Amino acid sequence: MTPRYPVRIPRARVVVLDLAGDLRAEAREDLEAAYDEAASREPQTVVLNLSDVGYIDSTGIALLVGLLARARRDGRDVTAYGLSAHYRQIFTITRLSEFITIYDDEPSALGHVTASA
Amino acid sequence: MSDRLPGEEYRAGRSSGERTDGPELPLPDDAGPIPRVPRDASYWAAPVQRLGAVSDAARSRGLEGKRLMGPQQGFGQLWQRNYRVPLPGVDLSAAQVVGEWKARFGEFWPSGGSFHAPLAGIAPGELAALDVGVGQLVLLSTGVFVLYADETSFTFMTPQGHMFTAWITFAAEEDGGTRTAEVSMLLRAADPVAEVAYLLGAARMEDRFWIATLTNLAAALGAERRPVVTRITCVDRRRQWRRWTNLRHNGGPRTLIHGFRAPRG
Repeated sequence: MTPRYPVRIPRARVVVLDLAGDLRAEAREDLEAAYDEAASREPQTVVLNLSDVGYIDSTGIALLVGLLARARRDGRDVTAYGLSAHYRQIFTITRLSEFITIYDDEPSALGHVTASA
Repeated sequence: MSDRLPGEEYRAGRSSGERTDGPELPLPDDAGPIPRVPRDASYWAAPVQRLGAVSDAARSRGLEGKRLMGPQQGFGQLWQRNYRVPLPGVDLSAAQVVGEWKARFGEFWPSGGSFHAPLAGIAPGELAALDVGVGQLVLLSTGVFVLYADETSFTFMTPQGHMFTAWITFAAEEDGGTRTAEVSMLLRAADPVAEVAYLLGAARMEDRFWIATLTNLAAALGAERRPVVTRITCVDRRRQWRRWTNLRHNGGPRTLIHGFRAPRG
């Protein structure tokens, strides 16, 4: 069965989760499965690609907080890219942006990982 | 001197997708593509740096000028607490259940607490004042900010001075043909004192409070009586020690004074 959120490894110790569609309560199991898959690769950094996410409700934001908490517990960094201006606003009001560094695109996000490695 | 940034004050009833009323103007032919408005835009509150023009009820509870605090900004362990009740016999849609819940929110609270709904109701960007009794003598006075509200759910976020840094989501949905109502919290104790209180009994009080609320909601909607199912998960056991400085916002002393001065209700 094809996972809803594919996991890519663009370079060593970095995984990209390609999130898509609606990020709501129904996404919980798929998001947790995607993080489990990503964690099994033992990355230093988890990059969230939110380019194709079309809807986030407050439960979806809570799911991201849960993912962030798991990653921090595991000693991993979390960054994100592909957020529209609207979702950047939501990351600001929820203060999620204080914990997840946001980039415009994948090269910028990966460039940061290289620079900080 | 104000430390607020332009456009960052609290504005009652403003949501991030709100439009201004006015005549529609024709677009020029070369206006280009119209920016797509996200489907969830009108459900989220607009960004807030600090709570600004608050109601008298909120001001008397010391909420003016406070920042909002998500679960990431707290001190204690990160907990997810879910309370869910089936509503058998209720012939309302999820949107109708949530509509009733929003309109009569404070009525479903157990005795000892009071919820002062904003004039505009539970809508994105609104701030509500509240008092919660802790035992017979202590009345905690604080508030909650409406972070998100759609037809079938709404979410509160806590301000500085609240015992918890939390998001609290209220929702209704259909589960196997039966309507259900749910309260879902993601929270940390705000500071070391709150963490100790949480471990010594505040968590159990929180459980009793929301179980009673859901039981009252179910009864008011005419549901057959069913037990509230509770699910508690510790998402992150680590404490965020650098957040001990949240103590300076601890609302305990002020709310105690407010509690002695102000009558309940």
